Amino acid sequence: MNLLDFVCTDAIVPDLKPAGKEDAIAQLVASLKDAGKLPGDEEPAIVAAVLKREELGSTGIGNGVAVPHTKHPAVDRLTATVGLVHEGIDFASLDGEPVYIMILLVSPPENTRDHLRALETVSRHLKNDTFCNFLKQAKTADEVVELLREADEGHIS
Amino acid sequence: MNVVILGGGTVGTSICKVLGTRHNVCLVDPDPEVLEIAGEQLDVQTVKGSACDAVTLFQAGVQSADLVLAVTSKDEINLVGASLSKSMGARRSVARVFNPSYLDSSTFDYRRHFGIDRLLSLERLTALELARSVRMRGMFVLENLVRGGVEVQEVAVETDSPAAGVPLKDLKFGPGVLAGVFVTDGVARIPNGDDSANAGDTVTLIGTGDSLEEAAKRFRKNVPPKLLVVIGGGGEIGFNLARVLSKGRFSVVLMEGDRDRCEELATKLDSVTVLHGDVTRRSEMEEARVDRADVFVAATGRDEDNIVCGVEARELGAGRIMSVVRRPDYANVLGKLGIDVAVSPRSVMTRQVDGMVQTGAVLARFDVAGNQAAVYEVEVREGCDLIGVPLKDAGFRGALVAAIDREEFVRVPGAEDMLKAGDVAVVLAQADAAEGVLERFEAQG
Repeated sequence: MNLLDFVCTDAIVPDLKPAGKEDAIAQLVASLKDAGKLPGDEEPAIVAAVLKREELGSTGIGNGVAVPHTKHPAVDRLTATVGLVHEGIDFASLDGEPVYIMILLVSPPENTRDHLRALETVSRHLKNDTFCNFLKQAKTADEVVELLREADEGHIS
Repeated sequence: MNVVILGGGTVGTSICKVLGTRHNVCLVDPDPEVLEIAGEQLDVQTVKGSACDAVTLFQAGVQSADLVLAVTSKDEINLVGASLSKSMGARRSVARVFNPSYLDSSTFDYRRHFGIDRLLSLERLTALELARSVRMRGMFVLENLVRGGVEVQEVAVETDSPAAGVPLKDLKFGPGVLAGVFVTDGVARIPNGDDSANAGDTVTLIGTGDSLEEAAKRFRKNVPPKLLVVIGGGGEIGFNLARVLSKGRFSVVLMEGDRDRCEELATKLDSVTVLHGDVTRRSEMEEARVDRADVFVAATGRDEDNIVCGVEARELGAGRIMSVVRRPDYANVLGKLGIDVAVSPRSVMTRQVDGMVQTGAVLARFDVAGNQAAVYEVEVREGCDLIGVPLKDAGFRGALVAAIDREEFVRVPGAEDMLKAGDVAVVLAQADAAEGVLERFEAQG
């Protein structure tokens, strides 16, 4: 599975300026909604579901990366977006460090296989320091898309 | 009905007690002493062995069971036992789990992976039951349906309140809130968008999420002062209770003895005051200002502590005292000690189980609007002719589908939404219409 198979390129936010963790998640969900990936009236429910998952333990997996995610019946297929926080944000991460890269994933409850493959794809690429460093420096959505493509094609090592 | 119960602890045996006389019940436990007592005192069969052992499960008859309940004290045994039972042919299998991660499907869907029909957290259900008692004031109904996914609340419309006399369609409640029944001069009706409630009427609101309290507020003129609730014990029950109450009109103080757990609770519960303190020490109870509490809830892991600190809180001057008490033996003395409400996880569980052994489609029923209407939890079964019909075309009279619980996600449906087999529908029906509507859920096409 490739990143660009499920990341919605129209929903990428290259310059998030969130008031906090909750706001960052809300802005990314809003961006998916604006891109037409989820119905507007379900937006608060999806934000709440993502935050509920965070309660079990932060999805800030370290290395400046967070992967907030949930399953929700409002989407009929797996969708995701990327948000970059250049100032960094406190995400209660496992390593206590601020988060600069957020990848938010929402999938339908039935499709457990794609959901797990997507999480695996994301965490595999984000273990790559070079990829993360490039991503942190990206300033526009196009640059982010280009980096995702290069990562998918195995050009970043 | 054939029921197999895995685990003969306080929860398992109390289920046996409730079901034993009416159903064929078999209890599985590895401890011969437990089985001996159950065999003597309860009307059940027993099989000795592990809940994870297929041979034991065969002996217990899971292959022809209508319901298997895995209620040992170990999550993993419950998951495996319920999963095996389902694969071996049980019609329905339910596992009790404690660990909140098992209930969350966002990273990994444990329920689906194990093929279990339902995972139940007694701690969450107990917290909901406590929240219901804390919030219930006066004669107005407040109910939790589909495991807290839907709440029902009644409110008396006050003169000059913002929503009095305003047509329903202009009130623009949050998404997830529905004004279900208006009662004027003792006559109930299900309102349409042009209807408005006036001072003196009673309104029944049904909703999901946090917006119900907001909606209810608009029918009141003055917002009542916030009540102070002090919760002793920040385990799963205390945590879930604090979370539910902090959304409403309560100031919540949560006392917990373990410093690390306090830190964790403080990050999870924004609007709750988390105090590091021991509920069994009077001085620390005084420091938490238990004397000013309108309600004190004792929710530690030990019955004895919950009883003692409940009595202490009464002495200090707290308004109402509620205690979590797991052992049935203590029930008698609680009232004498001045504890107003005792909630036990096992009684909460037996109420759930009652719904599961219903033979009809109706799982639960709560009367609202002075018994002129009722809210039902109804199972949508394969073959029901309402499946696949947009709700607006279903032709319900004097009734409506207020919420749908599908795959553990609860939502208020729109006119175009359709029911699916496996859903649990929350149906609101006027008393005179209920029979006709519920019959349609029973009908097999």
